[in-house]
Formats: sequence, structure tokens, C-alpha cells
Amino acid sequence: MAEKGQVDVEHLGGVIRLREEHEKVVKDCESRIQHWKKVSGDYEALNDRLKTLPDQLSYDIMVPFGPLAFMPGKLVHTNEVTVLLGDNWFAKCSAKQAQKIVDHRMKYVKNELDGLSKTIKNFEARVGFAKDLETISASKGDYVDIREEVGNNDSVVTKGKQRIAHKPNSKPKQDVVFDFKEEDEENEEESRDSGSRKCVMTEEELWARLDELEKLEELQDEQDKLSDNGDMNGEDTSSSSSEEEKDADAATPVNGLSLKPGWSVLPSSTAPLRQDRKEEEDFEEEEEANYFPTIYFSHTVEPKKVRINTGKNTTLKFSERKEQKEHSKRKKKNGHSNGHAHHELHKITTPADIYRLFVDVKNGEPIPRKSILKSRSRENSVCSDTSESSAADFEERRIMGRSFSHDEATHSDTSDGITEEDSPTAVLLQPPSRFEAFSGTVIEKDPMPSAVPHLTISPPALPTILERKQEEVAPDVTPPQQAPKRVSKFKAARLQQK
Amino acid sequence: MAEAIQKKLKVEVEKYAQMQKEVSKSMSARQKLETQLTENNIVKEELDLLDSSNTVYKLIGPVLVKQDLDEAKATVAKRLEYINGEIQRYETLLKDMEKKSEQHREVLSSLQQEFQKAQGLAVGKV
Repeated sequence: MAEKGQVDVEHLGGVIRLREEHEKVVKDCESRIQHWKKVSGDYEALNDRLKTLPDQLSYDIMVPFGPLAFMPGKLVHTNEVTVLLGDNWFAKCSAKQAQKIVDHRMKYVKNELDGLSKTIKNFEARVGFAKDLETISASKGDYVDIREEVGNNDSVVTKGKQRIAHKPNSKPKQDVVFDFKEEDEENEEESRDSGSRKCVMTEEELWARLDELEKLEELQDEQDKLSDNGDMNGEDTSSSSSEEEKDADAATPVNGLSLKPGWSVLPSSTAPLRQDRKEEEDFEEEEEANYFPTIYFSHTVEPKKVRINTGKNTTLKFSERKEQKEHSKRKKKNGHSNGHAHHELHKITTPADIYRLFVDVKNGEPIPRKSILKSRSRENSVCSDTSESSAADFEERRIMGRSFSHDEATHSDTSDGITEEDSPTAVLLQPPSRFEAFSGTVIEKDPMPSAVPHLTISPPALPTILERKQEEVAPDVTPPQQAPKRVSKFKAARLQQK
Repeated sequence: MAEAIQKKLKVEVEKYAQMQKEVSKSMSARQKLETQLTENNIVKEELDLLDSSNTVYKLIGPVLVKQDLDEAKATVAKRLEYINGEIQRYETLLKDMEKKSEQHREVLSSLQQEFQKAQGLAVGKV
């Protein structure tokens, strides 16, 4: 930090010099402007004189004789004026011609004056800027240096495919990256590679790995803290609150990813600086480290919220972070995260942090409370229900439905309307072993209701409403009804056309 | 060893100072020429504005000598050309001088470094 202070002092010296130079220029410009103003004044007087001179044929004047004496005399040939053209050239002109020449010169002087005033303006601006710079360097002003350390793809999620850092040095970061990927469907290969890598490790490497994991944990705790904001926002959402989150995200919009800046202000520097702020001239006396308050800015990525249209006017949110968190929980199986989480939970920096306080601690992990509006009884109804549990239930049902649909597809080719109905049975073949925000299947929209004959391909809006009706009717009819068969409307159309 | 370098250094510094002086001289001469250039331009314009009705005088010492307008114009034009030529000559001269001074500067800096090293060695030895 002493080095930093030194650098600042150097900067300060340089800036001071710059400012002084600028001021010099300004002064010079000012003096020139004064000169030209004087000249222009002289020319004005001359003009007046020339106007009045030819009024009389001759004037009685006191002619200067040398520096100390005058003599009475007459001024004759009042219209004849010998004009100095420059460089020892003279021309005899009438008074009017002389006036023209004078006007000519006045123009020139004006041009000079304009140019000078422009330059003076510029340099005054520069002087102001240099002063500001000086105050910054002296750490006097309200300026705060915001620094962002660009890591080695630490937690930066690129828009495209996520990359693994293949450098040997960046192993911990590599781990972070491949934790990400384990949940990502696209990058199964890497996870396989990473899995195999793990097996090969020796005992020492395992210890090293443990250390890395601990670091990772700290990282992830920090990220979890941030992601919990997002997740809580996600889980409590009805359609309206999802908009709120959108607004919150809009506050930090970066290319469609929701990034939350994590910043920390260096605390020690600000306090002494505030005292010295008023003493502008005493900056040389500041002995301690003269770095200005810096905010270290780092981009941390919130869980990528992928909104998937599930066909019932609802969207699910795929939370990578949640997956990762659960994975990390399974891996480590310890309560480390708890301690950290609690500390960080109480630090409220954003409004979203408030959500974090309302958590239930289950199984060592803080699980955000769901809104009371969401209850199990409503899981069968179709409203803007994006709660995790009911969504998961939906998923299961749909998966079930799909498995059935495969069997029934062969039978149903002759049927007119393909009645694919979702039977929201309470019967779940396999209750979800783990709570996932997203089971990996995308639910497609229900193509056509039974009421509508096969020819029409109804617009998306209709099926959903009709679906709802059917679903509400369906519970009564569930026992006799077979499991739902879900086919996309395109496939349905095709099948119909056959 | 250090003393020898010191002497060398002094010599080089003097040379460099000389160079700088020359450079500044030529700079000032060039500036003079520039002012003359502007002045003659003004005169030329004025002469163009005049018509032949009024007489033109040239100040040679304490005497105002009558001149023909056309003659005056020609004279002024010639002078202008002469001034321009002079300016260009001076410019090339300046460039050469600057190059030389740069070289000198480099030599100086290297000598200084040597000198410092030698001094360091001397201190170490002592």
C-alpha cells in the first residue's frame, strides 16, 4: 500500500505540473488578449480621428518638438494620410481609404481575439480537469476508485458454451467450472472427464483437492448467498413477482444474463480521508497510505434463469445454482455452508437480501419459505403457479404421461381427435427423490382439446383455457381415464393428416 | 575509472549544451522569418487594395522614397518568396540539429549509467 501511496504521490506531482502548465498557457493567452484589445482600442480611436479630420481644411495645433517641447502649428492637407503598410512600406491615401485600411486591420485583430478566447476557454477547462485529477490523486475528493479484477473465467459465464480452463495452474477454477457443467445437459462429456479425473487422484492430490474444495465452498457460499436471493425470488413468484424480479434484474442488465455485482469498499481508507478532505493544501502531510477509497467490483453470476414455457401460461425457472448447491451439498456432506451462510445472511446490501432472512433451515441448508399463497391443494389447478414442488409434480406427471404416450401412440393413429389430456392425478409413479427446479424435460403444450374436431389447429391461447376446464373436470373422472398422452400439436396435426 | 567517466560525461554535457543553443538560435531565426512573412502578406494585400492614384513610399533609413505601385508590388512579392525559401532552409537545419541532439542525449544517458555503475562499484570497493 506504501507503493500505491508513492505512485499516487508521483501522479500528484505530475498532475500538479500539468495544472501549472495549463495555467501558464491561460495566463499567456490572457496577456495576448489584453494586447489585442488595446490594439483594437487604438484602431477605434484612429477611426474616429479619420472621420473628423477632413471636416476642416486645416487645424491649429500644438506640434510636439522633441520629447519636451511643443510648438504652435497648423495641420494641413487634412485628407492626405500616409499609411504604414508594414515592413517599411508606406502609401499615401485619402482619409477614406485610410479608413478602409483601418477596418481591414480591425477585422484581423478581431480574428486574433476570437482565436485566443477559444484557446483560453479550452485551457481553462483543462485546468479544471487537472485540478480534479489533483484532488483525486490527493485522495481528497469524493472520488472513489472502482476496480474490477478480471479473473480467469472465475465465475464469468460466457454467452455461448461454457469453457473449461485447460491450464494446469487454474485447477480450482476448473473445478468451479466443472461443477457448473455437471448439471448442464450439454456438457456431459466434460463431467465424465472430470469424474474420471477424480478417480485417478492419489492421496496427496486428494488433500490438495480438499483444500481446493474448501476454497470452492467459500466461493460458492458467496455465490449461494447471492443465488439465494434469486432463488427466493424465483420460488415465491406468481406472475406479478416475476415481473418484480425482472425489474430488479433490469437494474443490472448485462446481455440478458443477470449478474449481481459483489463489491466491497475498503473500510480503512475512507475514515481518515474524510477528515482530511477539507485541508486541500495539506495533502503532502498525509503520511499514511494515500490510496483513495476503492471499491473492488467483481461480477458474480446469478443463476441463469431460463424461462421455459410449459404451455400453461407458466414458466419454470431453471436454476443452475440450485443444482450446483445441491451437488456440492451431496459431495461435501458437512455443515460448513451453514456457518458462512448465516453470517452472510445477515448482511443486507440489496432489497433482495431481505428475502434471505425468511428462511427455514432444513437439512443444514436454508430453504426459502414459500409464499403462503402457494399450497399443495392448488397444485392441480392451472394458474400462474411456478412453485418448485408443484412444478416438479407436473414434471413427474408429464414424464409419466410421455411414457404412456409412447405405448398408446401406436394404437391411436386411427382416432379422429387425438385426445391428449393431462390427467392431474395425485398418483405419482415415482415421487421425486430430490427436489429439482427442473427435471430436464420440457413440457410441451397440449395440442388440441377433445371438443374441437381434428381439422382445426387452434391457436395457442385456446387450448390452455380448455385444458384447464378439462383438468378441472378430469379429477372427477380420473379413475376410468387412462394416463395422459401428450403429443405436440404439430405431431398431432401430422397424425391427423395421415 | 569513475573519474574518467566523469570527465567524459562533462565533455558530452557541454557538447549537448552547445547543440541546444544552436537549436534555439535557429528556432528564433525561424520565428522572425515567420513574422516577416505575415507582415509581407499584409503589405501585399494592402497594395492590392490600393489603386494607382496614391503614391507608395519606402522607408530607407530616415528617407521616404517614392516608389511605383507596381514596382512595390513586385518587390514585396519577391521578398515573400525569399522569406519562404529562408524558412524552409531553416526548417531542414532544425531537423538535422534535432537529430544530432537526440544522438547526443542517448550518448549522455549511456554515459550516465556507466558512471553510476562505476560509482556503485567504487562505493562497493571502498
